[in-house]
Amino acid sequence: MSDKTASVPAAGQRGKSLASTLGKSWVLIFLLLETVYFCFRSEGFANPNSLQIMLFYGVLVFLLATAELFVIVTGGIDLSVGYVLGFASIISIKVIEKLTGMGLDPGLALLLGVAATLVVGLIPGLINGWLVAYLKVPPFIATFAMVGVCHGISELIINGVYAMGLPKLASDIGSGHMLYIAPGGALSLFQKPVVERGVSVLEIVPNIVVVTAVVVAIFAFLLSRTKFGRHVYAIGGNMDAAERAGIPVKRRILGVYATSSFLASLAGVVYAFMYVSGKADAGASLLLDSIAAVVIGGASLFGGSGTVGRTMVGALIIAVLDLGLRMSGTPTFDKYILVGVILILAVIMERYMQERA
Amino acid sequence: MKKMVVALLATLMIALVAVPGFSQAKLRILFMPGVADPFYFTMEKGVKAAADKAGAELVVAEYPKAWGPENQIPILQATYARGKFDLLLIAPTSTDALKAPLKAIYDKGTEIITVDTFIGDGDYSKASDYSFPLSYIGSDNVLGGKQMAEQLAKMVGEKGKVFIEATNPDASSVQGRVKGFTAGVTEFPNMMLAGVEWCQDIQQKAQEQVLTALQINKDIVGIFGLNVFSAQGATQAVINAGLGGAVKMCLWDATLDNIANLKKGNADLVLAQKPGEMGTLGVEWGVKFLKDKKNVKVPKKVIPGFMFFTAQNVNDANMQQYIYQ
Repeated sequence: MSDKTASVPAAGQRGKSLASTLGKSWVLIFLLLETVYFCFRSEGFANPNSLQIMLFYGVLVFLLATAELFVIVTGGIDLSVGYVLGFASIISIKVIEKLTGMGLDPGLALLLGVAATLVVGLIPGLINGWLVAYLKVPPFIATFAMVGVCHGISELIINGVYAMGLPKLASDIGSGHMLYIAPGGALSLFQKPVVERGVSVLEIVPNIVVVTAVVVAIFAFLLSRTKFGRHVYAIGGNMDAAERAGIPVKRRILGVYATSSFLASLAGVVYAFMYVSGKADAGASLLLDSIAAVVIGGASLFGGSGTVGRTMVGALIIAVLDLGLRMSGTPTFDKYILVGVILILAVIMERYMQERA
Repeated sequence: MKKMVVALLATLMIALVAVPGFSQAKLRILFMPGVADPFYFTMEKGVKAAADKAGAELVVAEYPKAWGPENQIPILQATYARGKFDLLLIAPTSTDALKAPLKAIYDKGTEIITVDTFIGDGDYSKASDYSFPLSYIGSDNVLGGKQMAEQLAKMVGEKGKVFIEATNPDASSVQGRVKGFTAGVTEFPNMMLAGVEWCQDIQQKAQEQVLTALQINKDIVGIFGLNVFSAQGATQAVINAGLGGAVKMCLWDATLDNIANLKKGNADLVLAQKPGEMGTLGVEWGVKFLKDKKNVKVPKKVIPGFMFFTAQNVNDANMQQYIYQ
């Protein structure tokens, strides 16, 4: 009798624990189910190459979602990331074009052009941060205004058309892979080996996926393991308490918006290398996906929570959906509906988990 | 939690590599349009008819919602990853950005024919990093642009300001039409090009740009609407400004909308390309080559030509086949 009564609460605990684990991991389970579904639904999806394609075309959302996460953790929002991306794509091409025009070696021109773009790309973020932290302008308004400013300046630079004129090296880097394995097992780093046409060369990890992974890992470390990151969470959890605790709130908010702008600019450079062109609205359609990735990843729009890892899972859910639908021949209009539904589901699940806690 | 993450990711990887591929037997053709518009819908009909006739399997990629490599390339890569294709018919949306992705597809053994637009300068007969496609099948856009200028000159008495409402400067077809029209205008000393605007395939933007141009240059006597969206937007702007019939309109692409405006007197000339024929020729040449690579020599450039709709012939029975349906 005593054994039986003791086992009932134990079973209940296990049940609760399982439900709790499943609840916490629902995004991962969703990602898994979604992937398995498309493996059977979409011809060619169940292939490691598809994984590479998915990551390749997901990089812009990965970078913008990381940018957005930093701001959302503070309880703010950055609506300008998409147009900062477009602005940076144009600046990078214009600078590189100028430098190559001056006779600089293409490699050096690319390096200097990227560095210059990342510095210039900080400006929108610094202005956003200054408006939000020091002038108390609501983040929605400050960054919404920056959308117009970045869009307008970008269009002025390119006269409403495209920025073009990158050297071929940019395209080689943008569409290249880190490792190539030729038939027979010969390895080649960054340089595709010359083989007879039709002979397949194993291409492993696109360059820009490697760059993105490194950058995202660095910023994940910054958010989760450094004093800056702890301050960001503290500000999002309770700004007054953070101020009383001696955290330099204004400086940190400035830093957060600058970080967001830096990542969006990097996404702009990546865009330019991927498509050898730049345009003002290049990232306009990516704003929804980047915010959705953060929210699906469990971050609260009220601030104080969210991790880069879970945000990446949120971004992967969107990337799998994108590729899976395309490969199944379904119009991607369906994607918009599904992202909306998943977003709502994410908010309900998080609320459910909070109530249980 | 960490164990669960590892387990889930491991299952995910296994699922990605374990599910078998799909088998194939007959020739497989992939058609990748440039943007969702009546021109490419008509081209698809030609492609489909020829593919059916050849007994080939046709996969039509999703129509990009907007023009541009950032919209087209991800769709191309995703669709191409669905299995091995023998032939790709594509309207490249950029002369530069499509070079690398198409070269990668070519290297995998797929033959490529570019339809309507091309990569590089479109001359695939000379050795270059973009000469790998079998052929370019499309209009002579420079000639078309020049003929539009000549026709417009006749309508306006060979004098006055004219304007070009164009679309994406990155597309070969657009570059050709602007070049041809500009060259055509310079042949008439009393004519002047008031400007060129780029709507990037957004009809609303075309309308706004033409309205602004009409405000700045009140003496514009003729407008060249350079593609589906530019032409339709430009015509609407002229109608809204109350200048329908007064400002001469030369429109590129025989959409139902442009033809309707021609019938109403809001447009004066409509150039019809032959998108269906481009699609059919693309499949026919591609299949012919694939069946006998050693002996079939595909011309590097195939120009199907175009037709002009005017108020006089717009209702002719034999012209109706050239309207994009």
